[in-house]
Amino acid sequence: MIEALYTNGWGAFIFLLMLQIPFLFVFFHIVNKKVFVDPEPAKTAPEKYSKYRYTWIAFAAAVFIVVNVASIDYMPTIVEARAASAANVQDVSVTARAWAFEFSDMEFKVGDTIRIKAKSVDTVHSFALYHPEGNLLFTMMLLPTAGVESAVVHTFDKPGEYTIRCLEYCGIAHHNMKRTFTVI
Amino acid sequence: MSAAINIIDKVPYFGSMFKVESSELDPVNAWPSLIAMTSFVWFFIAAILGISMPVLQFIDLGAAWYYQNLTLHGAAMAFPFAFQLMVAMSLHRAGACLGKKADDVLVTLFYICMNVGALLLTLAVLNGFHVTYTVMFPLPVVGAGLGLWSMGTLILGFTGIALVLTSMIFIYPIKILRMSFFEKRHEDLQLAVRTLKDPGMVGMIMGVLVLLVTGTPLMITAGSLLLHLYGIFPASWIGWAADPVVFEFIFYIFAHNLMEAMAIMVIGAVYATLPLCLADGSRKLYSDKIALLALWILLLTSVTSFFHHFYTMYPALPSTFAYHGNIMSYATAIGAALTIFTILATIWKSGLVASPAIFLILGGFVMYILDGAAAIVVSNVAWNFQLHGTLWVGGHAMVVLIAISSLWMGMLYYHFPLMTNRTIDDSTARSSIKYLFISYIGLFYTFMAAGADGVPRRNADWEGEWMIYAVLLTIFGCMMLYAFVLYALSLTRSKPLDF
Repeated sequence: MIEALYTNGWGAFIFLLMLQIPFLFVFFHIVNKKVFVDPEPAKTAPEKYSKYRYTWIAFAAAVFIVVNVASIDYMPTIVEARAASAANVQDVSVTARAWAFEFSDMEFKVGDTIRIKAKSVDTVHSFALYHPEGNLLFTMMLLPTAGVESAVVHTFDKPGEYTIRCLEYCGIAHHNMKRTFTVI
Repeated sequence: MSAAINIIDKVPYFGSMFKVESSELDPVNAWPSLIAMTSFVWFFIAAILGISMPVLQFIDLGAAWYYQNLTLHGAAMAFPFAFQLMVAMSLHRAGACLGKKADDVLVTLFYICMNVGALLLTLAVLNGFHVTYTVMFPLPVVGAGLGLWSMGTLILGFTGIALVLTSMIFIYPIKILRMSFFEKRHEDLQLAVRTLKDPGMVGMIMGVLVLLVTGTPLMITAGSLLLHLYGIFPASWIGWAADPVVFEFIFYIFAHNLMEAMAIMVIGAVYATLPLCLADGSRKLYSDKIALLALWILLLTSVTSFFHHFYTMYPALPSTFAYHGNIMSYATAIGAALTIFTILATIWKSGLVASPAIFLILGGFVMYILDGAAAIVVSNVAWNFQLHGTLWVGGHAMVVLIAISSLWMGMLYYHFPLMTNRTIDDSTARSSIKYLFISYIGLFYTFMAAGADGVPRRNADWEGEWMIYAVLLTIFGCMMLYAFVLYALSLTRSKPLDF
């Protein structure tokens, strides 16, 4: 379940709702009560405000720490670093230019682990890999003159056509900068 | 009579929103009113262009139209609308709270640079300079090389951008700093006394200092490039500035902190205005110290959280900077959590007197917090690799501008009687707030869901399964435009104050 949360954009959307729905409920409850139901000053004891304040900040900090610590295993930077010494990782080089991609390899098998090493030779581009079911697996920003190729490690889990798109606006034919990887 | 009032009187429709009567308060009222009025002219242009973008996904007029409207919409929303509205309101606040004149040569210069710059950029965009409002350097130069636009158009566009940036990075901050610390105080202009210890004033000063400090390197870099384009600097002098890595990092250090500065300033303005609407008449926040602590946390953590714009460059961006950006981005949320507590504790402790001004301010604050949550979610390194470059990020940029603008529009409702001796039309204002909030919620969640679904931002040709998002964006966009029309009507239908 944790893996699903951090490896899919909808996981981020669910977490977003978990943050926002309680906020909206509490905010509108307090505003409604103090504007329409009982606008008189509250008789809450001053020490209670301090207690609520510390509890609220401790809760917010705890949520933020847990969410980020739990995500460490799914950060592409960590995955790539762990795969650095693995022997079975296949390097695939990608060159992006307005408005095309060039690849060293475009056909793979289910279970293959590849390290995509991508660069741009003119303006800002990106390499974004979409799963055959449509969700965005990851994107890499490619800045010319960065000096080092951007790199992400990925293991193909299903056969099909994996769409590659440029997600950084790069001119009039930006939307046509699209190719596919075939996984059998 | 002030030249600003003369101009307002001559502008059809928008002029009737700000019918300022000449008085001894002209030095604090006239130019802020003109600047606010002009910002709304830009907004209505930006809004129509914004609605056109999802519509263009249905009507195939060619990609050039889409990218043209995208560039004009983003540029108009961010600079001559949202930023200019903020300038108008902060000049009025600084003038009326500190008793300083807001009608000198710096204010006039700001107005000319901002609006002439935006007009020049508009002309360049209409001539093919489609680079989006983030410029995407080195695209402007590469595009000229590919024949997408001419060198003349590039120079025109860069000149416009330079004028806009000069107004934002130098002229406006210097004017606010002069008003805050140096200029002569006029007791007859001081309508609501504030000191520089007030959280509202501290937020404003923090904001302009951020603009000055983070913007100066960008002005040096962009200025060097522009002087080369004018033929003044030889190519050998500007090689460093033309490096895409140098330019992009300097650009985002400014652009990220520009949004943060606008947020800090508007939170400061909420801290200043909320106490004036309390039911118990105490005119005090729950705690000035906690309000100031929240502003300091927001300021210090936001400065280096800009790294979240570059996580996906790994390893060109070393992972240590990515983790630092992740931590700092979430730390800004602690500042936001303290702000939420301060505002709710103040309302709970003192009660609130209902008015369109405070409803719009609180509605804008809710919008700002909802968008802030979206920003910190995408600042997590793991999620960022799946959301960067999608409509999650594009939507975040747009809705934060709407949230901040809504807060300033609420401030404008509050300041309006002081500025014009008139009172807004209450029922139209309430309708406007209702539609604005509903349309904001609709746009916000549509953008976030589209981003989660992988819909690319700045893309002229969406896949068939994504068109549901285009339908929803069109519906909620039209509703938001209606809300803004009602907002304008609430000002044009204003009535003279009954003393």
